[in-house]
Amino acid sequence: MSSFAFRLPEATEATTLNVLKVSKTAIGIFILPALILYVGIVFVPILVSFYTGMLNWNGIGESKFVGFENYKDILFNDNLFWPAARRTLLYAVASMIEIPFCLMMAVLLNRYVRKANTLVSIYFTPVILSVVVIGQLWKTIYNPTSMGGMLNQFLINIGLDSWTHTWLSETNIAIYCIYFVSLWQYFGYHLLIQFTGVQNIPNEIYEAAKIDGADGFKADRYITLPMIVPIFKISIVLAFIGSLQSFDMIWVMTGGGPAHATDTIATYMYTSSFLSQKFGYGSALASLLVVLCLVITVVINTVLNKVDKKFS
Amino acid sequence: MDNKLKKALSIAAAGALTLSLAACGNNDNSSKNGGDAAASPSSSASSAPSASASSGEKVTLTFQNIYVDPNTPTYKTAHQIVDQYQKDHPNIKIEFDSLNTDQQKQKLKTQANAKEIPDITMVNPAAQMKPFVDANLFVPLNDVVEKNGLKDTYQSGLLDYYSFNGNVYALPDGNNIEVVYYNKDLFAQAGISNPPATFDELLADVKALKEKGIIPMAIGEKDTWTGSFIFMNILLRTNGGPGFLKDVVDGKKTFEDPAFVDAVSKFQDLIQAGAFEEGATSLDVDTGRSLFTSGKAAMYMLGSWETGTIDASEVGPKVAAFQFPTVGGKGDPNQFMLAPGTAFAIAANSKHIEEAKDFLNYFTLNFPKVQFELKNAVGLPQKVDGDMKAAGYSDLAISVADLFGKVNGGDISFDNTMNPAVSQVHLNSLQNMFVQKVDPAQVAKEHQAAYEANKDQ
Repeated sequence: MSSFAFRLPEATEATTLNVLKVSKTAIGIFILPALILYVGIVFVPILVSFYTGMLNWNGIGESKFVGFENYKDILFNDNLFWPAARRTLLYAVASMIEIPFCLMMAVLLNRYVRKANTLVSIYFTPVILSVVVIGQLWKTIYNPTSMGGMLNQFLINIGLDSWTHTWLSETNIAIYCIYFVSLWQYFGYHLLIQFTGVQNIPNEIYEAAKIDGADGFKADRYITLPMIVPIFKISIVLAFIGSLQSFDMIWVMTGGGPAHATDTIATYMYTSSFLSQKFGYGSALASLLVVLCLVITVVINTVLNKVDKKFS
Repeated sequence: MDNKLKKALSIAAAGALTLSLAACGNNDNSSKNGGDAAASPSSSASSAPSASASSGEKVTLTFQNIYVDPNTPTYKTAHQIVDQYQKDHPNIKIEFDSLNTDQQKQKLKTQANAKEIPDITMVNPAAQMKPFVDANLFVPLNDVVEKNGLKDTYQSGLLDYYSFNGNVYALPDGNNIEVVYYNKDLFAQAGISNPPATFDELLADVKALKEKGIIPMAIGEKDTWTGSFIFMNILLRTNGGPGFLKDVVDGKKTFEDPAFVDAVSKFQDLIQAGAFEEGATSLDVDTGRSLFTSGKAAMYMLGSWETGTIDASEVGPKVAAFQFPTVGGKGDPNQFMLAPGTAFAIAANSKHIEEAKDFLNYFTLNFPKVQFELKNAVGLPQKVDGDMKAAGYSDLAISVADLFGKVNGGDISFDNTMNPAVSQVHLNSLQNMFVQKVDPAQVAKEHQAAYEANKDQ
């Protein structure tokens, strides 16, 4: 961030336009508030939570320094952490897989639908609704038959009685039911991003390609795909980070239960720190989540940069 | 240029440092205040000049509480008493900070972390308030209970749940017992004439109700403590009396004791008999209750604090309450699961401890009287004079009040006895029993392992 900002004056010095010549002091002063704020509310808390992760602490009274004990426990002795991590990653992967579908939909909408904007806005509505509203809504859809659950009622009406479940109370399917709701909610969000990206590709390029004989699917392959990669990347990273932190939807719908069957790293972290009152342990979990986010973001960026280069 | 930049940076850095130092300083001050009421005016004088205890000055007290719903009698009671107090003491302003129970718990923990607890707040008894007391965050209230004979109004032994090292640290807003509410009409439909007196009868009733397509017992097991509360009542019976968890803490018993294993397997019998509605683990306590109050479920087992809500619902006139039966011939039905209520405490970091104490004394003295007038006398922590029948209380309320009269000891809930880490393991392992069959011995082993791992927390 800072290297970019400080390079700016040199670039302008090289040109004859000295209107933009600003002293480094001024730049420093202008950057400082944001920098302090950023460091203060992002980096310092992360470092602090790394440190509290090394404590045996109930959040109120005395704390005891235990070194890497908590981290070791989480990684090697905790039979709840790895399943939670698996669920978190699976969710992240699922929400990434959703993006190509969004892109496909965006291309189709852009090509075949007149006034596609209206449709996109409609798809976007679940994003505006609060997660709590969505969660409650889907909870009633998933309700058991005896309480008039809509999904079960629907299955019974089309003669598929054997397919009914108590969706959110069965350990092996509850988490997938929640994934589905989240994917459903964020479909419109990523569709909007992709749709805007597709619309921003200049029409002239397609026209030129048409003259050269590239039309329809071929044009998508050789024009849309390469040109949408940066936008695609944004969606992927957003989807990924968002799902790693997934907490609210799960909390509203199942609270991590039944018996930890829908815990993700984030809900497990909350349970540990606030319900079990093991703040040290919870902080250690939070730190591991940060590390996981960083590592995977770097990986995604490298992969996508390669893809980017290959296409251009 | 570079020099100037450096200067600017260092000034900013110095500024930031001073700020953070100042913050540390504040923290230090308030932590020293802990447990020492007399020191508070002087040590906080630098930050707040108006801290003197003299009565003429304007004083604002923050009153954190869990009375959020304006339709409940407790909310009305609290506001009525506070309004009256403010009228009598024009220099005192009391600010309500009302939150839902769970939110209040979180907020208080966060505030305790920063040693910024509101002047008056609310905590849960025994194990749940111990960390606060250990960290010297509350002031002892011995002088408050002695004033105006307040102490004698409380039910005997109740204040013990809020006392540590001979000091009372909090004053409860209620004292409840666990009862089983049942819908007499639905029982009659299933051909059941009397409420069950033994666990086997209970299981038979469950079967009879199920055959009629009635949900035998409603529960909101997404809120895991509800299941635990029922389980603990079974344990109270299989153990032949109260004190199992205390024996575990004292090292006299382990969770692998036959009484505990037996209680788990009995609880499993109840679940496997289909006593609870399907999908119970995804329903919260309010939804669970609504199954009962809408007449879909025949029984509802929870604390007597539910009486008012059930009374006000459409099934109200059809409902009565019974004591949890004996299990396998063991236990005394007059021993109940007890739920000493959430309690008022005064923060050690408060700048107006004397004023807060005076207010709390006034508040707790008037609390039962106003509650009685507002028809909320079931589950009061204090003795109150008055004829319930004459005051127009419902049959249900009177019958629950009668059960109170039978109480001959009992246990308090698991999470009020064990530390939070062990409680979480317990709550989750019980929730698990709602979704799959378990081996009771294995459940006992899990409990013991969790207890040993978190003993020193």
